[in-house]
Amino acid sequence: MNLLTQVLTALGWIVIALAISPMVWLILQPYVKRWSRAERRATDLLRDILTPEQFRQLLWRGYLEIPSPTEPRRVYRVPRSKGYVQVIENGRAIMRLCLQPVECLPDADVVVLHKLMIEANEETYLQKANKYVCID
Amino acid sequence: MLRVMSRRGDDRVTWDMQRVQASDPEAIAAVREAERIFAQERAKGATAFRIDPGKPPQRIDQFDETSEQIVMVPRVVGG
Repeated sequence: MNLLTQVLTALGWIVIALAISPMVWLILQPYVKRWSRAERRATDLLRDILTPEQFRQLLWRGYLEIPSPTEPRRVYRVPRSKGYVQVIENGRAIMRLCLQPVECLPDADVVVLHKLMIEANEETYLQKANKYVCID
Repeated sequence: MLRVMSRRGDDRVTWDMQRVQASDPEAIAAVREAERIFAQERAKGATAFRIDPGKPPQRIDQFDETSEQIVMVPRVVGG
């Protein structure tokens, strides 16, 4: 009897969940669609800005390496999603940088932002970023 | 094309330089709109980059309608 009550209660909850899920979806749908459209547009921009090799590197390794335009031995490692940018010199991580836009952007746009700023505006990029020195 | 990064991805304004040179009113209006957005975003602290194929990106302070693509990124701060 007790088991039967529990089964009926569980079934009742399942029926309620199934009944309200379309309403929940209707409420959440615009937000989900907006988010995915933003990510799609940002990915389009990323594809336009990166070379095919860079895009593959980002997908497979989870980061993009951007050579410094001023220091030949330096590379910036930009993560695909939120996180610190690593500064690699002579193959060793020497510093982590934290720099973020004041406006919330899709992750792909943030990668583009780092790339553009490093390649066209490295000095300002380094001035604005908070730096955390890596100590072995 | 002008692309302005935002939480919605990027907002785009496009124009055709050939039609601008031919004094097409629609194309000229598109350029003026892009110029207005450029100035508005710059006033908010955004940085603009000119993107030309096969060349490194170049930071620009003035709107240039001859650019193939201009990307504007919002103001950034150390995190």
